[in-house]
Amino acid sequence: MSEVQAAVRGHGATDDIPASLLAPPARPWWWWLTSDRAARYTARLAFLVVWQWAGSTFQDIPAPLGTLEFLREEFARGEVFRNVGISLFRAVIGLSLVLVLGIAIGIAMARWWRVRFFLTDLILVGITLPAFIWALLVVMWWGFSNIGPITVCVVSATPQLVVNTFQGATATPGKLLAMSDAYRVGTRRQFRWLVIPSMMEYIAAGFRSAVLAGWGAVLLVEWFGNDKGVGFRAHYWYDAHSFEGMMGWGLVMMVIILSFDRIVMDRVVRHFRSWRIGGQQWSR
Amino acid sequence: MATTEKTLEELEQDAIDSLASSGRRTRSKFLYSSLGALSFLAVWTYFSTVLEPYVLPSPLAVGTRMWELIVSGDVFINFGSSFLKTMAGWALALALGIPIGLLMGRYRYARAFFHDFVYLFANVPLLVYAVIAIIVFGISPWGPAFVVMLEAFTGIAINVAAGVESIDRGLLAMSRSFRRSSGRTARSIVIPSVVPFLFASGRVSFANSWKLAALAETFGGYLGIGFQLEKAFQTFSVVTLLAWMFFFVIFVIMVERLLIAPAERKVFAWRDPAGAREQMA
Repeated sequence: MSEVQAAVRGHGATDDIPASLLAPPARPWWWWLTSDRAARYTARLAFLVVWQWAGSTFQDIPAPLGTLEFLREEFARGEVFRNVGISLFRAVIGLSLVLVLGIAIGIAMARWWRVRFFLTDLILVGITLPAFIWALLVVMWWGFSNIGPITVCVVSATPQLVVNTFQGATATPGKLLAMSDAYRVGTRRQFRWLVIPSMMEYIAAGFRSAVLAGWGAVLLVEWFGNDKGVGFRAHYWYDAHSFEGMMGWGLVMMVIILSFDRIVMDRVVRHFRSWRIGGQQWSR
Repeated sequence: MATTEKTLEELEQDAIDSLASSGRRTRSKFLYSSLGALSFLAVWTYFSTVLEPYVLPSPLAVGTRMWELIVSGDVFINFGSSFLKTMAGWALALALGIPIGLLMGRYRYARAFFHDFVYLFANVPLLVYAVIAIIVFGISPWGPAFVVMLEAFTGIAINVAAGVESIDRGLLAMSRSFRRSSGRTARSIVIPSVVPFLFASGRVSFANSWKLAALAETFGGYLGIGFQLEKAFQTFSVVTLLAWMFFFVIFVIMVERLLIAPAERKVFAWRDPAGAREQMA
């Protein structure tokens, strides 16, 4: 409205235009029912209702209320915090290794062509291999231990970070670099202000998928052979034929990874991408 | 909104492509990549001589086992079974994802409504899917197909929505003013705009669907690659497990090269959806 009015005022002809044209169009009373936010909450509600319906109709499917009740009991037994803590510990160690190894290998592959050709096929095969095959292997090799989950986390998540880091290191902003050369910007400043920011964007996206893969890998190893952790606890209830137990722990796995992805990784990725979209960084 | 943004899977695929296509096919490239494979084999052989053979069998033993599995025909039966399950899951995912994608591309309300579902189903850990498969279907071939559907429909829906958004509004208006029937408009404008996007999503999530189907078979199957891996695990046979692991790699690469890459060239011959997306942004 203000824009229109300002434009019209600029011409000094406000009086000729009826007020009804300048006012924003009237909304029907139900407008908030069709807003994006209302749609999202409707979807969530519908999901819960359908799940509850399925749970109470089919015997084998656990209903949300029963699952919540199970989780309350599991909290009271003190199992949730203990096992979640152990799984998180393994995932954090594994993913720290992934971060170091992935970035180092990715940059080395972009920097030296011999390293690139040497490793390309191995990395592509590593991406193709599913984590659960590694999980079965390390359970046979090491049995119940911390080494198994951490190894599979590293082996299955590193290739994903490597390919992204490689892409980031090779996709440097060529035009901006050429311009910096033309204006005699020093190598150090080019690196600090162009090469690193453009790479971080790819590394952040790669680490996001590495976190998803690494968490899944830790869970798988714990499921197939471990005596502690979230995956172990889910398997424990699988052996006890408790569908509510499996569903409850499945919910725990999902809540942990999805909230981390939404709250932390999404912001990290946005942060490192903001310079490309907004350009605020350049105006400073 | 978010439909034109690339999904995590698509970013990953871009990165893989940029690595796979980097550098020309020269003799030195061949030399170094075979050097990489050879040194991997050398490290493996060394450790297999140090460790007990039941812990780490030699490459030769695994090769022999693979040959036995080929001769007995087990490989073809089990891969056929897994392939059928994955394809059944894909057919279900298309049936679910295309209508949702069309709605998401056309109506703002539908886009907001399905937004959370698409995010949720795309990021659930594969283990949770496998658990859902045994809860709902028990030991049955429908469990893997069902969870492949849940996992794959998200990418299909997002890409169909992006395809619908990419349709040239001018062409639609023109076909209206020349009084073309809506069936013909759909056939000659809507479908050609959407199909390349659909294909892109298929290519990207193929590998993941395949992994998920095999994992779900490990939990509740009586045939298929996942079941064979589980059997090797239960009988503590590292040789058999490694043999199936290499079959898995070979099969995924073969399907990628022989099935997907030629189809991709055909579908993308006239249009590049990545380019279309950049134009929209």
